Amino acid sequence: MPSARPYVYADGNVHQRKAHALLPFLQSQSQNTLTKLYSKPSSCLSIFRLLDPISRQLIMNLLWLESAIPASTMQAWVTREGKPVYTEALATLTKLHIFPNSAIKLAVVPTFKTSFRQAITGGGTSGSFGVPSEKDDKRSDVDIEFLDVFALERWETILHYMVSSGSGQNPTKPSVRVLFLLQRSGLMTTVGQGPLQITSAGFQFLLHSPHEQLWELLLQYLHLTEERQMDLVDVLGFLFMLSTMELGREYSTERLSKTQTAMLEDLVDYGLIWRRKPSSKGFHPTRLATTLTSSSPPLPSSIGNRSGPQEGFIVLETNYRIYAYTDNPLQTAILNLFVSLKYRFPNLVVGAITRDSVKKALLNGISADQIISYLMSHAHPQMRKNVRLRSCNPLLPVTVQDQIRLWELEKNRLKSQEGYLYTSFASQADYDFVLNYAKELGVVLWENPVKRCFFGSLDGHANIRGFIERRTGAG
Amino acid sequence: MDLSDAPQLSDASHLSVVLDLSPTQWHLSGLLSNKYPLSLNSFLSHVLAFLNAHLASQHENTLAVFGAFPGKSLMLYSSTLHNPELQSIDSNSYAPFKLVDSTIINRISDELDAIDQSEEEAPCALVGALTKALCYVNRISLPPPSNSSTSPNTRDSTVLPDPRILILSVSPDLSTSYIPIMNSIFSAQKLKVTIDACQVYGPDAVFLQQAAHLTGGSYLFLERRDALLQYLIMSFLSAPSIRQVLAVPTQDRIDFRAACFCHKNIIDIGFVCSVCLSIFCQPVPVCSTCRTKFPIKTLQRLNASRPNVPSLSKSGPPSVVGTPQSRTPASTRNLPFPGEQPLSTTPGNGNTPATNGSNH
Repeated sequence: MPSARPYVYADGNVHQRKAHALLPFLQSQSQNTLTKLYSKPSSCLSIFRLLDPISRQLIMNLLWLESAIPASTMQAWVTREGKPVYTEALATLTKLHIFPNSAIKLAVVPTFKTSFRQAITGGGTSGSFGVPSEKDDKRSDVDIEFLDVFALERWETILHYMVSSGSGQNPTKPSVRVLFLLQRSGLMTTVGQGPLQITSAGFQFLLHSPHEQLWELLLQYLHLTEERQMDLVDVLGFLFMLSTMELGREYSTERLSKTQTAMLEDLVDYGLIWRRKPSSKGFHPTRLATTLTSSSPPLPSSIGNRSGPQEGFIVLETNYRIYAYTDNPLQTAILNLFVSLKYRFPNLVVGAITRDSVKKALLNGISADQIISYLMSHAHPQMRKNVRLRSCNPLLPVTVQDQIRLWELEKNRLKSQEGYLYTSFASQADYDFVLNYAKELGVVLWENPVKRCFFGSLDGHANIRGFIERRTGAG
Repeated sequence: MDLSDAPQLSDASHLSVVLDLSPTQWHLSGLLSNKYPLSLNSFLSHVLAFLNAHLASQHENTLAVFGAFPGKSLMLYSSTLHNPELQSIDSNSYAPFKLVDSTIINRISDELDAIDQSEEEAPCALVGALTKALCYVNRISLPPPSNSSTSPNTRDSTVLPDPRILILSVSPDLSTSYIPIMNSIFSAQKLKVTIDACQVYGPDAVFLQQAAHLTGGSYLFLERRDALLQYLIMSFLSAPSIRQVLAVPTQDRIDFRAACFCHKNIIDIGFVCSVCLSIFCQPVPVCSTCRTKFPIKTLQRLNASRPNVPSLSKSGPPSVVGTPQSRTPASTRNLPFPGEQPLSTTPGNGNTPATNGSNH
């Protein structure tokens, strides 16, 4: 059984997880696009899974009804405490055009209803769940472990390339297409003619969970479709189809559209699918693809499972020492972003969180909250056990959390504001007169009566200047 | 209401479904003389759509289905059980759904074909199926063996939040199964399992009402049988955390009657042994469960105060049916337990009448 450990965010706001990253993108699409998308049962199923539980229940409640029901009837089922959640869910569904835009009657739009019913009961001729390849006895079956290794290697190549781009090492480069996407999405950038450099958005990206990272890249990919003259519905439909496929089975490319065939190459680069050779007629989806619409870890065999438990590997002590049970170079490199590493052992990295190391991270554009949430989501089970047994909340030592936040505040000690300095007033009276006027406007940021000068903000300048000109003109 | 303590809204949930597959009852239910006839076939198609809806909700949702056949119960499907039988998939249906549907249908038709027509039909093993469902929930809620080294004693609550059992029953109450049902209810409470029950056909089920009430589930007596799927989805699809937002129907009246230990009759007024809390339909000189002897005076007094129920007085001397298990329901209730104290020193306290009602 897959055990899904939810990512806990730093603010402790666990029960209301933020909506899936894809939903805003879908909401921004036209009704026409969405309706085309909803004609595929597999797309309906995948979108349904991305929704929040209340929306899912609402769709289910209405799915098998033939006619629309009054909104008040549904409202009667909602408890008083649940009202805000319910209203929010209705708004989401309306924006996605799953419910028609109406305040009086509730129903599921016919296209979605037909396709989703088909997804649940089976049947139809859409073929939207992927056409499996013919069994071929000549070739040996590909086992799931192999696919996991492949996906992991592809994915870590991308991340490792990003993390070590500034450090002067030369890791294996991902393919040109991946590099292009990284550059377009603003995660990496070139300085002059030099090599690609990671940006602050890229550093933030590294600290996200693998699932979020994957969707972030795919969203960028979706944004590019128009430019590359690909059909968005085809692209999305293919991603959703992948997410409903079975791991370890080979699927045929025969019934794919032209756009989708073109996508195959890109998806191989990201590690979502595996093909025997670029020209072969079949492909295997990897775990990265089949878990797209679930919350289970996309790379269960990933990240530090070679030694130590997979869900967490970091032990943080109150003396700022950090022990990371990992032998994974990628994870070590990510830790190196904000930890000053001291020793390395075959299965353990020891370091300390210092002022300098955190400053370095802050300069790279990583925020204190991101560091804390990364440490939380990768905390060692032993640390989680402490929370349960000794109820020593929170998970991370408070001193360390506070200090990291304080270091961030330190960076923000200076505040800059644009404005104008007014000097060389002829007399004290002139100075007072103009200063009073500026004070009435509330634009004075600083004043020094001895030197007869003051500093006014940018938006007050036009008025003050006019005022002085009028005075000198009059005098 | 504080939502922050509630299980996370988007967590996976487990559902065990117990199907009552008594051939006689399904034959009666499918007769056209009913107002809303429902045959086994259409019942199964509704249920399969419901099961798929549960699996559709979340990739990690797990499912187990148990069938109660005459005199026999067995597991029809479970998500953890890998089923290699089915190799062919087609492009028009989601593979996990198809696997569930075909496995369940095949197993049910195999079992029903195997039933010997000539023999008299044994009572349906609903309790057996329920017990198996509970055992299954217990098994999967234990942490997986790989983690056992890190946390041998603490149960990892993230592995299985919100386990639920849904009973779809068509048989009338079997009063002999009172004790095992109560035992199941108490184990369900201990496991924090919610039991939902739906009486699809036949009279209201007293014991299932109690099961749903005591475990915080919901009991539904199906009126419009042709709309079974809609009932199932509206009332039983949502996990307990969603029920805080979208309410589900609850019972306003619950039948709390118990069955006596001596004749397995459902009784309105019973007599409870003050030592082991066994329930009897008439005053008895010796408790059949714990062998406590009661003073003869008390017996006479109680017999005199009984309402005249002719059917009960005919039922003969109490037989010895006590089982060690029958202590479980009794000791769970917070009633005084006199221990080894000889009863003769407290005359008049031998058999106390217990009334049904809301004093549980």
